[in-house]
Amino acid sequence: MTSAKAANRLQLTVALGLLLFLQFYARPRLFEGRYAPDFVMVGLVLLALRSGPGVGALAGFIVGVGSDALSPARFGAAALANTMVGYLAALTRAFFFADNVLVNAGFLFGAVWLRDLIVLVASGSGDQGLATSLLIDAPLRALTTALAGTVLLVLFGGWFRIRLDQ
Amino acid sequence: MARGTERWESRRDTWLFAGCMLLSALALLMPASWGMAVAAGLRTTALAPFVWLQERAAEGRTSRTRFRAVASERDSLAELSRTLSGLAGENAQLRSLLNLKVRIGPGFIPAEVLRQTLPTDGRTLLLDAGRADGVAPLDPVVTPEGLIGAIREVDQHTSIAMTWAHPEFRVSAVSANGQVAGIVGPTSTGDASRTGLEFRAITYRDTLTDGSVVIASGLGGVYPRGVPVGTVVGVEREQLGWERVYRLRPSAQPSIAGHVLILHGATPLRIPAAFAPRRDSLDSALVAPRPPVAAPQPTPVDSAARARRRRLRADSAAAAAAAAASDSAPAEAEPAPVEVLPPPAPAADTGGGVR
Repeated sequence: MTSAKAANRLQLTVALGLLLFLQFYARPRLFEGRYAPDFVMVGLVLLALRSGPGVGALAGFIVGVGSDALSPARFGAAALANTMVGYLAALTRAFFFADNVLVNAGFLFGAVWLRDLIVLVASGSGDQGLATSLLIDAPLRALTTALAGTVLLVLFGGWFRIRLDQ
Repeated sequence: MARGTERWESRRDTWLFAGCMLLSALALLMPASWGMAVAAGLRTTALAPFVWLQERAAEGRTSRTRFRAVASERDSLAELSRTLSGLAGENAQLRSLLNLKVRIGPGFIPAEVLRQTLPTDGRTLLLDAGRADGVAPLDPVVTPEGLIGAIREVDQHTSIAMTWAHPEFRVSAVSANGQVAGIVGPTSTGDASRTGLEFRAITYRDTLTDGSVVIASGLGGVYPRGVPVGTVVGVEREQLGWERVYRLRPSAQPSIAGHVLILHGATPLRIPAAFAPRRDSLDSALVAPRPPVAAPQPTPVDSAARARRRRLRADSAAAAAAAAASDSAPAEAEPAPVEVLPPPAPAADTGGGVR
């Protein structure tokens, strides 16, 4: 049992490392523009779905602080948004069967859109820009992220599998 | 027990969430300078590996662009090297022009050819010297290789030169040995880039061998005597058994001339010597040794020839004055009278230039 947990944690660590690699190395090389998939968000959502609300919130906060540090338009906005996303993603595990690929894709889509909404609101974007971002940019970014997450789940689904007994 | 653990986990999750939210709110509410300082600290410490990784990715992404840039630079260098050869040629041309200036002495105006895009650019040249520089209409335009043409229009700072490729161009010419005289004009091909020269009004009994140099005779007063015009490359045609027209290879090419000299008040006596072919030590070393030839001594025949040439120049000056009074056109209307000069020295027989 202990060895199995260690193996699962190792798989999760490797998977998150892979997502970080994709985010900081593959993404800048393969994708261009503001509609590139957010692999860190994929990792956050899958980690939150697997671990729980507290860990999800903490992971979201860490990811958000990192995002704020890399794009310090309004420091703290991404931290707030990702914290809420991580927490809510973990809570939704009780309402949906989260081991389904399409459900995970929906989670990813909603998480990215919600994150963008919170970040935009917390950053004080204007009404015109907010509407455009939420209706055009955010859905497209969420769509690409959901597609990328779906592909990753198809390829590495076992590593992110949610085990309700854990 | 399980319910207590679950409750504790739920409480822990709530506290974690609340704590993260509180910290996020504090981050949002703290002064922007503090947030920037924290962000900078994170980028240089915890996030430094990710930043480094993204920099490498950006480099990899731009590798294709950089390859294209390097390829462009390589092409530019290749183009530059090709241009350098052109610069070397231009320098050689300028050096020869400089030598020509020294040989001609005072009485010239250097000018640069301002190239145009029109197909008729070879027939006329726009020069960057004008009235302010002392350029006057009908001033001869030469290059170190030979005659280009004459100034046709003069502005304050520019001038238009009519080259030998112009259909109206005519110059009284004579063979380098002084035996055959005639009129040189452009061929009637029409295309300026392929226009050549022909030596007309050659009596049937006078013959020129291929390679003979034809120079300006000085008659008419426009072109000074001794400026190379072209080299005979064959017989163009014979008309009715009394005239033979020779085809000339022009000495100077207006289409490639970048710098020219406008002769204005140059000493006429220095012109032939200025265009005489010169050899440097390398040429002397490359030339096969020849059998010793006795140096030509002044003979009464030579003296007579020089006297005749001096008289011819005087006649040319008189003719120039008369022509200037009667005809202001750049073309020289009448062919030079054929003047039979004594046979030249053997060394100058092949048209090696004016001695």
